[in-house]
Amino acid sequence: MLSMAARGVLAACLLLLVQSPAVRFDGARNLFLLEHWTGAAQLPAERYRDVFQISVDAPDVPPMLGQYRIEAGALIFSPQYPVQPGVKYRAVARIPGAAPITTLVDIPKPVVKPTTVVERIYPTSSVLPENQLKFYIHFSAPMARGSGYNHIVLRDQNGSVVEVPFLELTEELWDPTGQRFTLFFDPGRIKRGLVSQQQLGIALKEGGRYTLSIDRGWKDAQGNPLAADFQKVFTVGPPDRQPIDIRAWTVREPASGTRNPLTLVFPESLDHAILHRDLDVTDASGAVIEGGVTIGPEEKSWIFTPDVAWKRGAYTVRLGTAIADLSGNMINRPFEIDVFDKVDDALTHSKFVFPFIVN
Amino acid sequence: MTKFRLTMCALLALTLFATTGVAADLTDSLKAGKADLKSVGVLAFGPDGVLFAGDSMGGQIFAIDTQDRTPSTAAAVEVMGLTGKIAAMLGTTADQITVNDIAVNPASKKTYVSVSRGIGVNATPVIVRIDTTGKLEALSLDNVKFASVALPNPVNASTGGRGGNARLQAITDLAFVDNRVFVAGLSNEEFSSTLRAIAFPFNAADKGTNVEIWHGSHNQFETNSPIRTFLPYKVNGEQTILASYTCTPLVKVPVSSLKSGAKVMGTTIAEFGAGNTPLDMIAYSKGGKNYILMSNTSRGVMKFSADGLEGFSPITKQVPDKAGVPYETIATMTGVLQMDQFDAQRVVILERSGDLRTVALP
Repeated sequence: MLSMAARGVLAACLLLLVQSPAVRFDGARNLFLLEHWTGAAQLPAERYRDVFQISVDAPDVPPMLGQYRIEAGALIFSPQYPVQPGVKYRAVARIPGAAPITTLVDIPKPVVKPTTVVERIYPTSSVLPENQLKFYIHFSAPMARGSGYNHIVLRDQNGSVVEVPFLELTEELWDPTGQRFTLFFDPGRIKRGLVSQQQLGIALKEGGRYTLSIDRGWKDAQGNPLAADFQKVFTVGPPDRQPIDIRAWTVREPASGTRNPLTLVFPESLDHAILHRDLDVTDASGAVIEGGVTIGPEEKSWIFTPDVAWKRGAYTVRLGTAIADLSGNMINRPFEIDVFDKVDDALTHSKFVFPFIVN
Repeated sequence: MTKFRLTMCALLALTLFATTGVAADLTDSLKAGKADLKSVGVLAFGPDGVLFAGDSMGGQIFAIDTQDRTPSTAAAVEVMGLTGKIAAMLGTTADQITVNDIAVNPASKKTYVSVSRGIGVNATPVIVRIDTTGKLEALSLDNVKFASVALPNPVNASTGGRGGNARLQAITDLAFVDNRVFVAGLSNEEFSSTLRAIAFPFNAADKGTNVEIWHGSHNQFETNSPIRTFLPYKVNGEQTILASYTCTPLVKVPVSSLKSGAKVMGTTIAEFGAGNTPLDMIAYSKGGKNYILMSNTSRGVMKFSADGLEGFSPITKQVPDKAGVPYETIATMTGVLQMDQFDAQRVVILERSGDLRTVALP
């Protein structure tokens, strides 16, 4: 009579004997396994790839990159990259002396309701200069790269599409989070005296009303379309070819002992992104004051809230050289320099400061 | 966006080193380790199997020792459906990868392809190497000899540390010229020229010099103009950068003028028409004459003579359409997404169809 334990062992052995080699995918561990083949342990490592090959299920493609190992008697393939939802894989075991075993592994793609949207477009003003330089398109979640320009259309007030108004770069211009897309107008159509402007004209014409449309086909980084289309409607004013004149700026000083914000107010909209990064505040000793920045309505003010309360004294807002208005004009330096009336000073790249007192 | 960037000067330098017995090897300064690229875009070969790679997301330039120096006399490489094959190798489908650039090692004739696996900002950078039989392999970046240099990225001292700096610079082209790496880039915020010359071997203290490249138009207006793509080339014996701006004209800039802090005015020698962005330029000789081949986003592949570029008058007036250096459009080369020189007679092209082919230089 066999004991219960011995019977169990026998049963397991019989099971092994009758179980045929099989291929399966372990989704939790991202592994392909060739199991129940007793020859695996004796197989030389250089032959793993010949016996067990995993590829995307498509004709004439090379095997996937990955590593092999033997674990618990199974020959295991660990793909270098995680398998992709929506892709079908083909795992083929070619055990010597046996017919090949082919297993197709379908990685389902979950159906997800689109949630990503265009949150806003800068500039937020509804009146833009004829030589507007760029837009920033902000999304609510990281986006896919590579097809952005296909989903952007500019139309005039008659609904006619404005032909190639934008600079289309294969690299695309994203921020590090993939949530902000920078869309430059084609500089060839802004700068005066170039073939592009002569052939196609300026992209925006003063007095016109335009609609910048983003269609929902633009995919996010998860591969899902946007939840909705987005439109920005604006009218076009005269071109702005004047450099920024900081003498026209005003300051609202905070009171000492408070964390009330310091506010710089501009007579025109400035570039949203550059306002965020190209100004800072120092005290009389030159030490940088830590704090947070917000940008006011229509990007016409810069609002700085310090981390700790203001102390009485003299301060300085340091202005970086990149600060620009909507047409790319910088402080004391226009986007286009007219050589007939330029003076050498127009080319200085010096840093400017804006002093203020906290009482 | 690459071209044959082993310049005559570099060749001359190699010859001099060879004749004087100085063992100057471009890999000497490289250290073994993991080359931690955040992304990989433009590629360019230097001598000694050193591959320069632009990492826009990481704001860095890498120099990688490919250990790929064995000369080859192969005449062609061909991989039908390359994009699909690369995708499959990476366990995905062609719509989930982006081929960013190709560069041919001028010695081994192996083609290097920079790829993003994934469609978001977290896409994995991969460099795929293709030998002349069409076999693909991934270049391991985990343990290679490499060096890197970070590109400066100004940030607000008060608040810049919070929420990260949103400014990035797309590296649109790079080339190795006379022991300097030239890098062209376009910021995602300010519109300005950022042609940077970085000494090689890289030195942490030396981020290179930034040169303002300006563009004059109509003999009246001057603007700071980002360079989209460029080609180091000798014009009448003078080392020159032939560059294309984002507003499409072709300009020449003498390398000798690229000094720190200098404001350099490029001389416009051709206007190739509106609604077009040049992608790549290659210089070559055929039948005793010199030519430049230029691929474009919407105007196909153009060929123009590189002889006598110094003889073209600068374009300083408004022109009706195309002006300056005359060109012909190569009817047999259509849908070219990427190209690089294979050898003196041939060019490798990656077509929109995803096929990689070698064709004779026209």
